[in-house]
Amino acid sequence: MGAHISIPMYQRAVPQRYRLVGQRCLKCGKVNFPPKAVCKYCNAGFEFEEVTLSGRGTVYSYTIIAGGGAPPEFAEQAHCQGSYPVVVVELEEGPRVIAQLVDPPPAGITIGMPVRAVFRKIYEEEGVIRYGFKFRPA
Amino acid sequence: MSISVVSYGVYLPFLRLRREEYVNALGSCSADIKEKTVMDVDEDTMTMAVEAARKAVAGLDLERVGVLTLASTSYPYQEKVMAGTIVEALGLRKNILTGHHGSSTLAGTEAFLSAAGLLVGSGEKYALVIVSDAPVAGASAEMEHSFGAAACAFVLAADEQGLELEGFYSCVTESLGLRFRPAGEKEVRDIGVRTYSNQAYNETVGAAVKGLLNKLGQKPAGYRHVILHQNDVRTTVALAKKLGFGDEQIQEGLVYGQVGDTGACSSLLGLCRVLEKTVPGDKILVGSYGAGGASQALSFKLNCRLPGRSESFQVLLEDKKYISYTHYLKLKRSI
Repeated sequence: MGAHISIPMYQRAVPQRYRLVGQRCLKCGKVNFPPKAVCKYCNAGFEFEEVTLSGRGTVYSYTIIAGGGAPPEFAEQAHCQGSYPVVVVELEEGPRVIAQLVDPPPAGITIGMPVRAVFRKIYEEEGVIRYGFKFRPA
Repeated sequence: MSISVVSYGVYLPFLRLRREEYVNALGSCSADIKEKTVMDVDEDTMTMAVEAARKAVAGLDLERVGVLTLASTSYPYQEKVMAGTIVEALGLRKNILTGHHGSSTLAGTEAFLSAAGLLVGSGEKYALVIVSDAPVAGASAEMEHSFGAAACAFVLAADEQGLELEGFYSCVTESLGLRFRPAGEKEVRDIGVRTYSNQAYNETVGAAVKGLLNKLGQKPAGYRHVILHQNDVRTTVALAKKLGFGDEQIQEGLVYGQVGDTGACSSLLGLCRVLEKTVPGDKILVGSYGAGGASQALSFKLNCRLPGRSESFQVLLEDKKYISYTHYLKLKRSI
């Protein structure tokens, strides 16, 4: 079963999903992405400045989602591609994020491989296209 | 006030379909392409638009972008403000004048000229023009064989050195049955009579180009490059020659053979390619076309070199993965 995200909930996260807007903790200086109410690093800072992340990073870990394992919102993609890679990317500003990897190299994905964020359709539900970021080999 | 292009960006999808795939699957290919660009399952004209625009605005003060115009014959929604997606994805300011152009492949230069007009009228510093297109026809339609996908974006500036827009000229006529899509349908069609469609193309584009040369008191020989809308290469080259241009002026701007028919992008994508081979003082002539029908001819002069881009057009053409015709049909949601 897929994790349904309502349109208003998706809408609230548009700046972070479309252009990686995160927040720098004014207390410890670490970058939180996605934004939090309290800094996840120092557990004390609650005031932040907005920062737009570069989208550059490296592959920290990855897996391949086979057709049968795809959540329903990705079923059409799985039908078309057979399987697709999902990566944990360590961004150069520090945070680790999870996303799909597009155009994987023919020789396979490697840990530490440099990647950059690209703007893609994540899935479509209720006739509404959910755009967001994926990664591509840099 | 002068209007100049000060930077630009190009996006080509990674996937390519070779002409031989059509020949192997269907016995023939009606398009004289070598290969064409194909959007992946998670791409549409908006995702391509964002990628091209991000390259064009790199290093620009986004607070000074006060105009945004878009062009596509194939937006992912038939009704919705598409500029909203762009503004959020790029982080543009919300007080921005917008223009959405569509309904024919003329949309590309329409968006370009309306951005120039809005820039003059508003007193803003920069305008962003994004042309992103991926025309769609049914798998059984012959015209489908050439349909590719691409996006290009231009930053226009008021009173700044760059690729200056020297003048433009338009020709609009009624021509029936050529590349049309009735309301509510997803796929374009035409009546399939090539001599008839070529005649309309030649007359309309020819009139716009001749009108522009007359208006500016210019001769074909005064241009380093000419780029006309590319439905197929033979017709484009024949018309350019008939208008008095030579091979060396025509060849650099031909992108059709490697990307296919990119609709509203066609002539502007050719412009992006020749810009890499242009030196200050060179003039460029662009002629767009939309069936039904109209053409806009634009005259440019390069005053100073545009900022270098991280990837040349050639690098984009070589960054690719070939797919099979079966995979292509899956991407088209035909099977």
